[in-house]
Amino acid sequence: MAEEKDCLRGDVEKGEEPVVTITGGAYSGKQAAEEPMKVEAEAGADACSDDLSCGEADIDPSLLELVDEEKCRSIRKQYRQLIYNVQQNRDDIVNTASESLTEALEEANVLFDAVSRTREAALDAQFLVLASDLGKEKAKQLNSDMSLFNQVAFCDFLLIFVGLNWVEDDGHDALSDCDDNIVRSFWETVQKEATSWMLQAETFHFIFGSFKSEPSARKPRLEHRKRVHRMEENGDMPTKLRKLDLSSNQEATEKEVERILGLLQTYFQKYPDTPVSYFEFVIDPNSFSRTVENIFYVSFIIRDGFARIRLDHDRLPILEPININHVGEGNDSSSHCRKQGVISLSLQDWKNIVATFEISEAMITNSY
Amino acid sequence: MSQKPKSRGRAGTQAERGSGGEEAPSTSRGPGGAASQGGRRAEAPPAPGPRSQKQLELKVAELVQFLLIKDQRKIPIRRTDILRHVVGDYKDVLPELLRRAAERLEYVFGYRLVELEPRSNTYILVNTLEPVEEDAEMRGDQGTPTTGLLMIVLGLIFMKGNSIKETEVWDFLRRLGVHATKKHLIFGDPKKLITEDFVRQRYLEYRRIPHTDPVDYELQWGPRTNLETSKMKVLKFVAKVHNQDPKDWPAQYCEALAEEEARARPQTGGTAPTPAPSS
Repeated sequence: MAEEKDCLRGDVEKGEEPVVTITGGAYSGKQAAEEPMKVEAEAGADACSDDLSCGEADIDPSLLELVDEEKCRSIRKQYRQLIYNVQQNRDDIVNTASESLTEALEEANVLFDAVSRTREAALDAQFLVLASDLGKEKAKQLNSDMSLFNQVAFCDFLLIFVGLNWVEDDGHDALSDCDDNIVRSFWETVQKEATSWMLQAETFHFIFGSFKSEPSARKPRLEHRKRVHRMEENGDMPTKLRKLDLSSNQEATEKEVERILGLLQTYFQKYPDTPVSYFEFVIDPNSFSRTVENIFYVSFIIRDGFARIRLDHDRLPILEPININHVGEGNDSSSHCRKQGVISLSLQDWKNIVATFEISEAMITNSY
Repeated sequence: MSQKPKSRGRAGTQAERGSGGEEAPSTSRGPGGAASQGGRRAEAPPAPGPRSQKQLELKVAELVQFLLIKDQRKIPIRRTDILRHVVGDYKDVLPELLRRAAERLEYVFGYRLVELEPRSNTYILVNTLEPVEEDAEMRGDQGTPTTGLLMIVLGLIFMKGNSIKETEVWDFLRRLGVHATKKHLIFGDPKKLITEDFVRQRYLEYRRIPHTDPVDYELQWGPRTNLETSKMKVLKFVAKVHNQDPKDWPAQYCEALAEEEARARPQTGGTAPTPAPSS
């Protein structure tokens, strides 16, 4: 309670000041002097106020008048209502034709007659600031009314200026539903006209471009990533291929060799003791590459000792079978000593051989 | 090549701290020199000696390049940026450098280096050459055509008494298919363009109006607009669009005329390229 007393006393002293400045000469000085003590609306309001009024000996008793709490609250409410209304109807108030600003000011005047405390005075001050701002805007409006500038017309004229007078503005926004090209051409035309009224410095660009810091900083990272990615990809592939290659190649080669060996042995069984001409065996008149493959496979046969190749009396190579019987004979020493032969065959040679030997079909048929 | 000024600037500042720079100007330091320079800094590097014409020329060339590149975005160039990136330890001769650079820019490029506002220590480049009809054809694609939108907004602002509310601007632009919240085909984000980009480029001023609920802002001409164009020019633009005479709007015409007369009067240090000496 003591605190409140102090605060209220402070309020009283302070309260005098703002009231005086706001009113200026409009309000009587008597009103300014009237600063009653008022107790906050807690329990036992009346009794407390009596105590206070008796206790404050240094303050003129004429200042201490009981003010109805309800009345003050209603004044505050009215002020707030007035401020709210003014803010809501801002457009109407600022409109030069309306008198609503004057009406609001008169209303505030009436309210102020009843104001006796700082709380309401503060609200009155707030309203005054708002009203003066709106008044300023209203004055500005007066100026622009004389300018005869109609922005809606400006808009239409812009469209006409660009040449789009056929665009109907039926209350809908022009240009919003328009074709992109029309929009672009509109703004380009306006741009062209606008730049002729401005002294804009052209933006400076190097003809062949310049090195910008940002992209060059990114590029190494990207390249690095790409390289890493590529390396990883390459890393993946060989492992896969090797697996496939190894398995397929080896099997394929072995299979092929076995198959050709089978063919050779079939031939030898059909025509016993007749060596087959090497060329007739390996050459495929239709495919040079197949011929080379055949030579490759036959070399394995010879290496493994299932056939042998030697020159006959015409000095042409022939293939002879090696029987298991022959293994036991004294040919071992001569046949097992290392002998190597290299057969080279060019495309032309192959063609010549096909022509000379008159090979019409391959002896080694395809398995596929 | 555009990197040169920056890297050299950095090298320059490094040289400031004592290590030798790669470039000739910073390394050739004589014993004597501007006493005013040496005493000011705490590190007290050796005061730079009198610089040769060649060194100065080099610096001026760098400065010209720097200014041209910095102007690409149309954001005013700050004096501190100039000092940091180009001038470095040539700080004491900055006024001379700026004067020469401005001369170079005017004679070679036809651009004027002006201070945006007196004592603002920011600079912009303004074209000295009046735009010619035929140039417009050759100009071609210089990015998004924002000048058109800018001119429309400037015209609106001037015709409505030098200040306009943002809501009014959007009401107007809505009829041209430009919305604050909708993505525009050419301008992208129009609200950002008008309230941020143009403001940053100092073409417009964007201020909050007090006591408005919901909050509203007002737009006015910015300092760059006053340097690059004039009220009379904008009025003529509006008049041309209306296919009328500028005198048909007497209030605005008088205002524009008054501004023309004010400009014609000799300036007391208005748009001189030489700035105040560095403090």
